[in-house]
Amino acid sequence: MNLRIIALLISLSCTIPAFGQLERKLATEKQEVDLIFHAPRHINLMTVEPLDKKALHFAIMHTFGTLDGGIQELWGLDNGANIQFSFEYAFSDKFSLGAARQSRDKVYNIYGRYHLLKQTQDGNMPFSLSLMGGAGVNSSNYDFLQSEAPSFADRTSFAFQVMVARKFSDKLSIQITPMMAYFVDPNPIFFIQGDQNLYLALGFSGKYKVTGRSSLTLQWIPNLNSDLRNNLGVGIDLEAGGHVFQMYFVTSQFLNEQYLLAGGNGTPGDEFRIGFNVNRIFATGRKKRLK
Amino acid sequence: MKGFSIFVLVLGLFVFPENLKAQVFKTETGRVEFLSKASLNEFVGESGSLNGLVDLEKNMLDFFVDLNTVKTGIGLRDRHMRENYLETKKFPFAEFTGKIDAIPNMAKGQSREVIAKGKFKIHGVEREITVPGKLTMVSDSELKLDAEFKLLLSAYNIEIPTVVFYELSEEQVVTIKATLKK
Repeated sequence: MNLRIIALLISLSCTIPAFGQLERKLATEKQEVDLIFHAPRHINLMTVEPLDKKALHFAIMHTFGTLDGGIQELWGLDNGANIQFSFEYAFSDKFSLGAARQSRDKVYNIYGRYHLLKQTQDGNMPFSLSLMGGAGVNSSNYDFLQSEAPSFADRTSFAFQVMVARKFSDKLSIQITPMMAYFVDPNPIFFIQGDQNLYLALGFSGKYKVTGRSSLTLQWIPNLNSDLRNNLGVGIDLEAGGHVFQMYFVTSQFLNEQYLLAGGNGTPGDEFRIGFNVNRIFATGRKKRLK
Repeated sequence: MKGFSIFVLVLGLFVFPENLKAQVFKTETGRVEFLSKASLNEFVGESGSLNGLVDLEKNMLDFFVDLNTVKTGIGLRDRHMRENYLETKKFPFAEFTGKIDAIPNMAKGQSREVIAKGKFKIHGVEREITVPGKLTMVSDSELKLDAEFKLLLSAYNIEIPTVVFYELSEEQVVTIKATLKK
């Protein structure tokens, strides 16, 4: 018995490995996936891409006239742009609030994004999920109308989206966005084609990286409960330092989330419009250095 | 009872001398800093998760840091750094394994300048480097290490952005501060 113990101890002592190199292990297995998309916006749709706490995202978006005017209209650039400015500020790494103004129908919109789930590199969380809600008001002047101008309440509209995205590989990311828009009064005087109050659609966004800092982009938004044409967009994203430039062809002139669903679309091809976004993120609160 | 004394004896023979003699110091919370000093923009990427081992008996140094833990103070810059430059998904670690050219004999409270030679690896590229540093025997069970060396990004195939808003320097000054314990 004693011999056994001794033998056991000796063998144990001998098998204790000599100290070699340290085992290389990651600080956290739950490292989040970086940059599923280049920016919080992707053509016209919002993405799951979060902002860091105290970061401010500024986006200026344009869509021009349709391509079918040819060179005479410089492929739509002469027709004037629909422009949307937006500022989005992150109160935490998960929650941000934004304000936007679209020039068509002079729509002021406030919106929030909340990032519920974030895809991790170990695959434990296979996708990112974010929610977006927004409310807007059309501030156009309707004094020229013979009838009474629409009331404030009748000018309001609301949007809600669920963004589910996954980075499938270093190159390919896809987002599926069930989305809805609600117009309190779908007044024909507004720049919308639909006459329903409620619009449901399913947005698909794709990003395919071609080089380290540029990607081909795609957007397709089939409508689920209206006869309006579906939205289609193709483009490229270019990352240049802190800016992300997005150039695309898209069938809709609208940039506001509600109008995007109710505003109608041209036919892909001749009625594509040139679109151009600039995204910039400002880090307003730098983290303190470690001690 | 006899068995127990044999047990103690064996334990004494195989375990205690080893432990008494062992000069193995370790840490998981060392600090490493990457200072980028470009003409217009200076910033520091830092991590407090440097893992290290100093074995004064076998003369072995081994350090590594998970580059995902390096923070520059701007989240987006960190993401670009991980995604586009360091490619941390493919190459998560910066590592150094080497030897001290001459093991210093230090009493408690003493410091010695030492030169470490070994292999440094980052972004999948391994190079032989020489690092001057300072070892301080704080107590019998605590060893302090300070070191600093320069790192040329191009030598490790790390691309420098050409269109930038945060200018990145080709030369990075790496500073290491760690307190290793037995």
